[in-house]
Amino acid sequence: MSRTAAAAAEPSAYVSRRPEWLRLLLRPFSGDAAFPWLAPLIVMLLLFTIYPLIYNIWLSFHEYAPFRRQLEFVGLDNWRTLWQDTRFWGSLGVTFTYFFFVLTVQLVLGMAIALLLDSDEPGFGLLRALLTLTLVIPPAITGMMFLLMQDSEFGVITYILESVGLLDGTQPILSTGSTALIGVMLADIWQWTPFMVLIFLAGLRSLPPEPFEAAMLDGASPFQIFRRITLPLMSKVIAVAVLIRGIDVFRMFDYVFVMTSGGPGTSTYVLSLYAWQQTFSFVKWGYGATISLVSLAIILIVANLFIKLAKVRW
Amino acid sequence: MRDSDRKRYVASLTDRYVRRQVSRRDFLRDAGQLGLGLGAFGLGMSRPFGGKPAFAQNEELRPNQEVLDWVREVSTPFRGTTLKLATESTPPSNAINSQLKPFFEEASGMTVEIEVLPLEQVLQKLTLDIASQLGTYDLYYIDQSWAAFTAQDVFDPREQMADKPDLAMPDWNFDDFLPALVDGIARYEDRLVGVPYDIPIFIMMYRRDVWEEMGFAAPTSLEEYYEQAKAVTEAGELYGATGQMKSGHYSLECDWTAWLWGHGGSIFDADGKFAGHDERGLEAMEYWRRLYGTMPPGVTGWTWDGQGQSIAQGVAASMMSWGEFFPYFDDPSATKVSGLMEAVRCPPPKHPLRRVEETGFGEIPGVGHQGGSSLAVSQNSKNPDAAWIFMQWATSYDTQVLITALGGGTGPTRSSVYDDPRIIANRRVGPGTTRHLDVVRETIANDMGSEPDLPEWAELANDTIPVRLGKYFADDYGSAKEAMDDIAQAVDRIVSG
Amino acid sequence: MIVQSTYRRRWRMLAAWGVVALFVFPLYYWITTAFKNARDIFDRPPNVWVFEPTLKNFEEVFGISLGFLRQQEVLPGGGNFYMAPRLWDSIVVAIGSTTLSVMIATLAAYALSRLDFKNRHLFVGWVLSTRMMPPVAVAIPLFFIYKDVGLLDSYTGIILIHAVMNLPLAVLLMKSFFDDIPREIDESAIIDGASRWLIFRRVILPMAKGGIAATAVLCFIFSWTEFVFVLTLTQTGLKTVPVVSSSFVTSTGTAWGNMAALGAAAMIPAFIFILLVQKQLVRGLTLGSLKQ
Repeated sequence: MSRTAAAAAEPSAYVSRRPEWLRLLLRPFSGDAAFPWLAPLIVMLLLFTIYPLIYNIWLSFHEYAPFRRQLEFVGLDNWRTLWQDTRFWGSLGVTFTYFFFVLTVQLVLGMAIALLLDSDEPGFGLLRALLTLTLVIPPAITGMMFLLMQDSEFGVITYILESVGLLDGTQPILSTGSTALIGVMLADIWQWTPFMVLIFLAGLRSLPPEPFEAAMLDGASPFQIFRRITLPLMSKVIAVAVLIRGIDVFRMFDYVFVMTSGGPGTSTYVLSLYAWQQTFSFVKWGYGATISLVSLAIILIVANLFIKLAKVRW
Repeated sequence: MRDSDRKRYVASLTDRYVRRQVSRRDFLRDAGQLGLGLGAFGLGMSRPFGGKPAFAQNEELRPNQEVLDWVREVSTPFRGTTLKLATESTPPSNAINSQLKPFFEEASGMTVEIEVLPLEQVLQKLTLDIASQLGTYDLYYIDQSWAAFTAQDVFDPREQMADKPDLAMPDWNFDDFLPALVDGIARYEDRLVGVPYDIPIFIMMYRRDVWEEMGFAAPTSLEEYYEQAKAVTEAGELYGATGQMKSGHYSLECDWTAWLWGHGGSIFDADGKFAGHDERGLEAMEYWRRLYGTMPPGVTGWTWDGQGQSIAQGVAASMMSWGEFFPYFDDPSATKVSGLMEAVRCPPPKHPLRRVEETGFGEIPGVGHQGGSSLAVSQNSKNPDAAWIFMQWATSYDTQVLITALGGGTGPTRSSVYDDPRIIANRRVGPGTTRHLDVVRETIANDMGSEPDLPEWAELANDTIPVRLGKYFADDYGSAKEAMDDIAQAVDRIVSG
Repeated sequence: MIVQSTYRRRWRMLAAWGVVALFVFPLYYWITTAFKNARDIFDRPPNVWVFEPTLKNFEEVFGISLGFLRQQEVLPGGGNFYMAPRLWDSIVVAIGSTTLSVMIATLAAYALSRLDFKNRHLFVGWVLSTRMMPPVAVAIPLFFIYKDVGLLDSYTGIILIHAVMNLPLAVLLMKSFFDDIPREIDESAIIDGASRWLIFRRVILPMAKGGIAATAVLCFIFSWTEFVFVLTLTQTGLKTVPVVSSSFVTSTGTAWGNMAALGAAAMIPAFIFILLVQKQLVRGLTLGSLKQ
């Protein structure tokens, strides 16, 4: 049966009267070729990511000469500087500390809260909605919010921690080297744990009920059920959540930018802030680009390793 | 001041009087400044003055018609032009943007778009605009620490005056700008980077009530100031001093220079080498460390914002810092110290100040650190003439008076503004007070310290120095000497390229 | 699903409320800050429950008078925040970029969900990797392109980059919703002779409506809250809420009350959207990881 005949024979649902131009436009979408469907995506991504990438690579071999108001070729200078720049290595360390810590906390906390909220009882819908409220605040404002709440004199978090004896009033959270990063992490964890919860809830809710029922009949404890059934079934969801969040945590910028500017000293200096400072505050565009490229390379390697190890497939 | 605020203020004033925290004389004086005789207490508060600032409706605070007429006349060719300016959110810019701009726009037929940003973001916009030679901004707001970096991208106002006599505002009078400010803010080598636009400068502000209670007079030396601050802190109710010592932030560098200069030190020596680690520099660090002990522990997380709040909310009793905070302290709706603050000049330096010849890059030692900025027309602007008209208007005598009166008593950059009756009339306790301006003027004339001008200064002042000082106060260095030696090494490396 | 004793159910309820309260507390604190006078914001100890409420901050931020007439004043932020236009900018940008990224992502996600092609796995990996560049590294080159093509300081420019920024997530999200729709439906329609486009348009899209809504809401939120691109690529033409809120950091202190007022007001539209698609969000946010 030819296609036209089939279409003619079909109920009107599949018949459409489109103008000629639209038919031409839609023709590529009629068959099984994937490319037309992906084309807009590919074009957008190429335009907006490949060009910046190439530009940054080019930039990393140049440096802005302030008095001549132009970029000048400097060869490998930026890369050599980077190698010896202790500030760079320091901020790499801070970035990784932040990355692992925030990600772990968000993962564990997110899973715990998701399990807690995974219920059809009345009221839980509202709770889930309330939890997602944290996502609608711009991170830049979240940073200011936590800056105020952690202020050494007027901050409510400081006050609470002092009244339960965790702080003694002489070591302000954000201006003590050992705790400043934790203060920044707090904002990130507060804002993004609910995002993890959402993903995990989505996963939990789409799990098949049969294994759980069987396990209940066998009299397994809740912990055993979680360990032996939930976790394995959820492994893919967890992996993807970690991947998505990990990418953003690694590039985190807004919080340190508004909260600590990298201080005290360099204890919260993350890579993206360092690249920003070099670029805008010191007008060293080439060096800023170099830092960004290294940062990109690192996250690419880490992410791909992770994809391999966690066997993420789409 | 709104009526409710005024009531609250009068109430608190009365309260303090009743509790014998203020003398009867002070009480009567303050109440008198509020515009009420004591009889008013029984009369259920008629409204002696309206909104904030006290004379906003006053006819005298309208822009001068002659000035507007001049604007109208010279702007004829530029009607329909749009001017853009990126500026820090400072009292003058806010006053222009929210109140005065419409008058200019109406007269000139131009549109003025003012982008108000935090300081770091202004630098970022400026950098991009200059580097790309884009000319999106017709006017630059230039912090004094960027003067060297922007010098060749803006017009020298003297050239503009000479080149365009037909656009020159009559009686604009360049010589009226305080000469110290022209030198300290606008001059870079032999060029003027715009004209001085605002002038926050370090003055000494302290709680008169606390000082009186302790039996102190205003500090006459740095050492005495420390002793007083220490005594206040030890008395236990509040901290004697406060600071703006956020690691990695420009404000920390500002505090440092004040103490450094105050101990006869300097940032650079005559050879252009870092000098903050010499004997005087270390003495300053030793002093600063001691003073730091009298401050709230949170100072290392505060910029001027937290510092100002700590005074405003009665956490700390004194600060040697930006005078532009003073009018804010007097605002009873925002602070708990309205009417209680006193402004005096900074204590004199412990050792004689270094002379300019003994320092490098045009650095001017002085305890009163200035953080002024200038307004300049960009060389990349597509409408430099129109921008020049706006700039003359914005920095003219008349506009500056209005800015100072409306903008909450920020320090004017023109000598004549300090003597204007409208400014003097505003020397009462309340928001936007100008009762500190005499001190500001004297400080500019006698105590002003100004940072060096070199293209690398933005990096040094915003990162190299404050990051390492921040590490020092976080106890990452073994000693002040170690910290300063490290700074010296880093600074010299950057300066030598 | 699992039968629990009343006792345990109570405890669970309590724990759930406790945890959520912990997360909502900062929001509560921030929203109340918007209703406080400056002196109450800085009370010591912090003034959490009892204070004299004021609408002053909202009046100043939105340049309107609520309840009583106030004289115009010099405001921190220079009155640059008659925020109504800024909220409008935010809405235009968010809606524009959301529409764009949802359209593109839906097309792509359909292919990823239904059509087989070589190296699909790698392709998704590449899409994801476009999110890995530090923001500043994208912002600088974009600034120069935008300058050359006249997109600087324009709605189009910001809408485009926000759409791109959201694409990876939107694609994964849409894919997971399409994956939920049984393939048999497509197959039967194909046997009936319908083209792919028809199936997509008439069958799949209507069935994935909820998923599209959920994706749209997430895109909306991420565009609504984005900071770096708007900061770098705009001047005076437009400004979104996160960037404009930083203009409350002034040389004479931060206008916390105003900033909180703006933050609180800006929460409302995004929150309404989130409520509307709550169910779909909780159902579909598996990011395409479960099927295949």
